[in-house]
Amino acid sequence: MSAAPYIVVDRVCKSFGAQAVLRDVSTQFRTGEVSVIIGASGSGKSTLLRAINRLEPHDSGTITIAGVPVGPDEATLQQQRTNVGMVFQQFNLFGHMTVLDNLTLAPRRIHRTPRAQANAQAMALLRRVGLQEHGAKYPWQLSGGQQQRVAIARALAMNPKVMLFDEPTSALDPEMVQEVLDVMRELARAGMTMVVVTHEMGFAREVADRVLFFDQGRIAHEAPPAEFFGQPANERIRAFIGRMGAG
Amino acid sequence: MPIGLWPAHWSRLQRSNATLVTALLLLVLVMATLGWLFSWLPEPIGSSAEIFADGARTTLWLTLVSGAVGLVLGTATALARISRWALLRWIARFYLWVIRGTPLLVQILFVYFALPLLVPGLRLPEFAAAVLALGLNAGAYNSEAIRAGLLAVPLGQTEAARALGLNRSHVFLDVVMPQAFKMALPPLVSNFVALLKDSSLAYAIGVVELTNVGSRLQSTTFQPIATLSTVALTYLVLTTLVTQATQAIEYRFDIEGRSQ
Repeated sequence: MSAAPYIVVDRVCKSFGAQAVLRDVSTQFRTGEVSVIIGASGSGKSTLLRAINRLEPHDSGTITIAGVPVGPDEATLQQQRTNVGMVFQQFNLFGHMTVLDNLTLAPRRIHRTPRAQANAQAMALLRRVGLQEHGAKYPWQLSGGQQQRVAIARALAMNPKVMLFDEPTSALDPEMVQEVLDVMRELARAGMTMVVVTHEMGFAREVADRVLFFDQGRIAHEAPPAEFFGQPANERIRAFIGRMGAG
Repeated sequence: MPIGLWPAHWSRLQRSNATLVTALLLLVLVMATLGWLFSWLPEPIGSSAEIFADGARTTLWLTLVSGAVGLVLGTATALARISRWALLRWIARFYLWVIRGTPLLVQILFVYFALPLLVPGLRLPEFAAAVLALGLNAGAYNSEAIRAGLLAVPLGQTEAARALGLNRSHVFLDVVMPQAFKMALPPLVSNFVALLKDSSLAYAIGVVELTNVGSRLQSTTFQPIATLSTVALTYLVLTTLVTQATQAIEYRFDIEGRSQ
């Protein structure tokens, strides 16, 4: 992978009060690359993801998306966010809207896509995540796994250049994890640029181009999955992999 | 209650619309024929039927206008309370503090008698003064209901909407407000029903509404049971019709089928 870096994170720091969550984090995410971020709870991996689309503004350092810095300017930010899809741990589907309306809201409001055209595009996306039958339902009528697949389709509806996944399977019952991972695998195969925060070691091993290990607000180690899991760089990583049951 | 009257195969929206239209038509019908209905009642009501009907219409009109003012004021105040600008937050808090901390009767008297002295030229007619005072009062209480609704919308909803690239007004109008409104609806309905009854305090500045009519008739005929029962019964009919309409609106938002 030697494509151009799409997202560049340079010496980014972020604190919540006295608690430093990101300490001088620098890394790059290249087009077409699948990066999996792992690490203990509270190590800063979700915060980095949320800093990229500024749901959590960083304190210092710079983040650029396609060369444009992520900053407080609303218009630029909205433009950047349309290129960066995000999937949340808790799905965050709009509960008062049907599945179809969840998908079409952003295209209709931002691109002023006519309703019929937005609906057709949304149906194509629902077919892609295997939920074409459920367009008229409301989120509460779906299982957790189905809701998360809708959430992925909703993020895809804006045709993003990169997809951020913030622990997308952590809130799911075990039997629903696979259906979501399958959709993500399919996305990766189709060449989507992805940054995935997860505890699914199997997914990291199989799909990732690179694995980043977060520890106490820093990227402690980074390697291709075969190397990362095959020859753990140090004892902390070995212990972490062991705890996740992928040793 | 009448939601269950419609055919079982009708959709939620159809049932809601049917109930809403029926309740509103019934309200208009009752208002239009009130004089005729009262004329069937025994003395002393029968002979004063038209005055009673006018009083009831004034009560409803007073409630609808000040209710609308209260809804707009309440929404604006709730937004001000959660605004980024401290000045707006302070103005909203001050307004709430004054209105919620003083009796409505005093507020009505103040607007009618004291305001013209404080602001020369602002000599409001009785009805307008009552609307202003009732609207200000309803606005304060509505703002808390709406604010509760706004705060009950999970932060994740806003984050998901912002992450899609939606601008502030779309995040608010498409995602936050519809969900907040649904949660604020039951307390807003309570406030509206309370307003319908509190409008009787406009009697104090001489608005000829339902209570005023009943009270006058009672003092001239010395028949308190008949007159005051009629007044109470009319309020009951009005609140019943109003709550039928608002229940239909609640039912419309009830996508999870939780209300029975």
